Amino acid sequence: MKVVYTDVLVIGGGLAGLRVAIGARRRGHDAIVLSLVPPKRSHSAAAQGGMQASLANVTKGQGDNEDVHFEDTVKGSDWGADQQVVRMFVNTAPKAVRELAAWGVPWSRVRQGDRQVIINGEKVTITERDAAHGLVAQRDFGGTRKWRTCYVSDGTGHAMLFAVGDRAIAEGIPVHERTEALALIHDGQRCYGAIVRNLITGEITAYVAKATAIATGGAGRVYRVTTNAVICEGIGAALALETGVVPLGNMEAVQFHPTGIFPAGILVTEGCRGDGGLLRDASGHRFMPDYEPEKKELASRDVVSRRMEEHIRKGNAARSRFGEHLWLDITLLGRKHIEHNLREVKEICQYFLGVDPVEQWIPVRPAQHYTMGGVRTNHTGQTPALRGLFAAGEVACWDMHGFNRLGGNSVAETVVAGMIVGEFIADFIESPEGELDIPTAVLREALEAERGKLDTLLRHGGREQADALKAEMQQVMTDRVGIFRTGADLQQAVDKLQELLVRSRDIGMRSRRDGPNPELVTAYRVQKMIKIALCIARGALTRTESRGAHFREDHPRRNDAEWLKRTLATWSDPLATLPTLNYEALDVGRMELPPGWRGYGNKDYVDHPDTPQRAAEVSKLRETLGDADRHSVQAALMPYEHLLPASLRGRNERIDEKLPT
Amino acid sequence: MSSVTDSAPPKAAIPPADAPKRMLHFHVLRHDPQDPVSIPHFEVFELEEAPGMTLFIALNEIREKLDPSLAFDFVCRAGICGSCGMVVNGRPGLACRTLTQDLPAEISLAPLPAFELIADLSVNTGKWMRGMSERLETWVHSLGQEVDLARIEERMDPELADRIYELDRCIECGCCVAACGTARMREDFVGAVGLNKIARFALDPRDQRTDQDFYELVGNDDGVFGCMTLLGCHDVCPKQLPLQTQIAFLRRKMVKAGL
Amino acid sequence: MKGSTTNAPVSAARRLRRWPARLDFLQSATGLALGLFMWVHMFFVATILLGKDVMWTVARMFEGYFIFGRPVYGLVSALVATIATLFVVHAALALRKFPANYRQYRTYRDHIKEMKHEDTTLWYWQVVTGFALFFLASVHLYIMLTRPDRIGPFESADRVWSDLMWPLYLVLLFAVEFHGGVGLYRLALKWGWFAGDGHDAAGTRRKLRFFKWALTGFFLVLGLLTLAAYMKIGIDHAPFYGQHYVPGAAATTGVTP
Repeated sequence: MKVVYTDVLVIGGGLAGLRVAIGARRRGHDAIVLSLVPPKRSHSAAAQGGMQASLANVTKGQGDNEDVHFEDTVKGSDWGADQQVVRMFVNTAPKAVRELAAWGVPWSRVRQGDRQVIINGEKVTITERDAAHGLVAQRDFGGTRKWRTCYVSDGTGHAMLFAVGDRAIAEGIPVHERTEALALIHDGQRCYGAIVRNLITGEITAYVAKATAIATGGAGRVYRVTTNAVICEGIGAALALETGVVPLGNMEAVQFHPTGIFPAGILVTEGCRGDGGLLRDASGHRFMPDYEPEKKELASRDVVSRRMEEHIRKGNAARSRFGEHLWLDITLLGRKHIEHNLREVKEICQYFLGVDPVEQWIPVRPAQHYTMGGVRTNHTGQTPALRGLFAAGEVACWDMHGFNRLGGNSVAETVVAGMIVGEFIADFIESPEGELDIPTAVLREALEAERGKLDTLLRHGGREQADALKAEMQQVMTDRVGIFRTGADLQQAVDKLQELLVRSRDIGMRSRRDGPNPELVTAYRVQKMIKIALCIARGALTRTESRGAHFREDHPRRNDAEWLKRTLATWSDPLATLPTLNYEALDVGRMELPPGWRGYGNKDYVDHPDTPQRAAEVSKLRETLGDADRHSVQAALMPYEHLLPASLRGRNERIDEKLPT
Repeated sequence: MSSVTDSAPPKAAIPPADAPKRMLHFHVLRHDPQDPVSIPHFEVFELEEAPGMTLFIALNEIREKLDPSLAFDFVCRAGICGSCGMVVNGRPGLACRTLTQDLPAEISLAPLPAFELIADLSVNTGKWMRGMSERLETWVHSLGQEVDLARIEERMDPELADRIYELDRCIECGCCVAACGTARMREDFVGAVGLNKIARFALDPRDQRTDQDFYELVGNDDGVFGCMTLLGCHDVCPKQLPLQTQIAFLRRKMVKAGL
Repeated sequence: MKGSTTNAPVSAARRLRRWPARLDFLQSATGLALGLFMWVHMFFVATILLGKDVMWTVARMFEGYFIFGRPVYGLVSALVATIATLFVVHAALALRKFPANYRQYRTYRDHIKEMKHEDTTLWYWQVVTGFALFFLASVHLYIMLTRPDRIGPFESADRVWSDLMWPLYLVLLFAVEFHGGVGLYRLALKWGWFAGDGHDAAGTRRKLRFFKWALTGFFLVLGLLTLAAYMKIGIDHAPFYGQHYVPGAAATTGVTP
């Protein structure tokens, strides 16, 4: 039995995982990162447009601060988010940008003086302040009231991932590349690490750790059409689910990005619209203002995606031999801007479509993009159900995105959660709770169980083919658990997925080698993926309202009275074919921003019975405090600072908000 | 310039559907170094070309329909992660964004040379890159100064930030190493990827290393003086990094530091 | 070095580490000197095409004839010795880059075959021609070093034809022009010369490559014509082998005064 011991085992080598490991390492603890691929190849690199942080350096960002970022994020989430966590996040985001700046991220910078930009299709001249010259610049993104998205041209995620990846190397953190966690080692109360398979040799090893962090990203690949990388298969969430005790939160909250290139689903950044790009239909008509007169192309992603699909349903789609789509027009931005600030977009269009976006429109259609739900954690990133298990980033339901995430908030979450959770992990290890006392029987049983599963797959000659099951699952998810959902469709999806799950227990291999065997990998992953798909579909079927990205045609209203709560899916019986759903109510009485209209999208919703009272409380408090500074007002409405690790508390300096020296 | 609200639909971007279909022959170099009886050999797979087919699509189709054991690496399938470097008809490149319509019907695929072979088309670029990063210390050295994260960030000239990003765009795909005659002959050569990193950090004022420090890292025949200016790197770089000028720049800088 | 203070002597290890920079610089510098010399040399030799008197004058000039009033062959020997030194140094340094064993050689050959990349292929030919120059240029340099007095319209022509040097010169011509042309082209790229602001690397290289081939072509033509001229003179002069050329003499064949 091969065993590796460490303090912190981080599963996943993207931005969140690396930053967690660095945090723990800097506190003096050993960390090992497991990664399916070399960490710099993680899907974090695909975040093109930028990261939100209320630095308020550019003219169009003046007046921005944590409060505005907070409101935008909560409204974006359709009040599904944990508002305290959102507060922790918005206060740390500027610190994260500044830390990354010090680590070498070449953030695009403000240049003083006049510049031409495109806003709402018109050329506008903006004058940048001298005081801002050389500071980190911000661009416009959907669902935000200020220009808040810090960016590195359109390779933000790449630049961030390389800076953080290199920092991890500088800290001497070992990354065990091409390894995959198959299961968590636990006894129902305490997590002890993971059983890990080497994808090159097939060897199985037990990694024992005081704290285990899952940071494996999203589950986009349960859909056929997705912007996600092929490694985003939801395996990390499934590891937690398969413990039987850890719940997954809000798995039905799945975001569809408006501009996946058609038909490949490859993402072109929201920055295209943020910088002034327009959506057009078959006849060349700019249709978004017809639906969303205020935010137009820059409403939140769930709204824009829905409007696009609605417009396609009305028969306005352009047609190619691959099917129906709409157009993204960035020609009005001009060659210089596109070649400079939207270079990846240009490359993607060139290589995958043979289109020059300077001259031609880009065929787009919404594609699955982001998993708001995931491993349910508390504000420290730890799962309450299993001590010693943490999650950070897209895989977690921390929960700062609720039912819809704002563009630029995901890549921000990765590093912010990494900073915060890394500190809490170190705290945990240093506390008496962190002591490790693992019975060898638990270890041996966990190893044998996984070895047994692999042997069954390799040798028992099952009748089902893994990739066929996977394709069927992806098809049913894209067809029936997409942007517009109905009870009937979802029921069919759940039935089909249950059938697939049963069939997945009878998978056989055409090739039986144990080392680099892609078929075997697909086989054990698809068994997990179908469970994740079921959590999504079942959660969506049960939630009879529309909230954020979850839209039920048969229940088109947001219903706070019944559904202002978080779905919690657990899978206690390994032989079950459905997850068990429980619900965790959100406490309106403690909300800083009581539920209301988002400022875009559907205005029609059912209030929670507590909402009017809380709304009255909040406005009264604001009135009473009158001229008090915004920090005191905030602290009175919903204290949160005590929740942050001590090292990350404190205000953020801005040009217009100097800190005392 | 199209009007803001309405504009004529653009000309068709994608070639027509009724173009005659080709049969493609993929000559794939197969080998499992862990299997003692495996001998490197080319295996031919036949596939009907589909519109807009990339090597990503084609290889997955081969795996699904013809041989489930075929090993290859893809991650982002959008040309940004650098996982799928392989030798396509003799030239290293990113498979995911190579359209079959740009290739002849006979397509040879081989793993990137100069890297440890995992199996078939899959090579261990990650291990090589980590080794290079450790050797060249490819991170900002700020000499122990802790930054106060609450304070306004250090300023940087916008132009300089752009110039650093220009070099920071490297995705460590390994194509430059595979295309380098020097790296092929001498396995300790850091390759264009390593030299470009040093050029990037030398440009960055946040990195307080001096030219002397950089000289210690690349001022030798495994570093910049090993480069024979064959420029295969420059010509295959999927990100069109200015490797030709950057390596020249670094050579001048390092000679100055070393003389 | 600026970095070190006077009372902190540069360590031996550090001094040692400076050598790669020096060697690299030297290799390029000797290459540049030899490459430029090659072109200049060709022009001098080619003066035969302008007439024997012109060539005679050029040859005497190198011997200091017009300063001292008599040929000082030592000057020529010194020049040859300098070139020979540069040659030996350059060869020794370049040797470092040669494939060190058959495996490396084989790898490079395969690499060329796969890549079909001009600059990669050119390097192979640079190695081959460089290797040839070890022998060809050495022979020529040795003769020039030991018999500086045998340079002139008839003297050289006799060497080319009657001493049967023309086959060697023919091969040498191609080897040296190719090697030098590619070498100078590569030097420009290696050090980033003529790159302007560096934004159009591809354009710079295209231009440099054009000039390289144009110059190689030009010097090959010039070289072949020159060699032909010497061979022609050599054939005509063969019966008078050994006789010196005297300028202003009416006859083209050597008539001893």
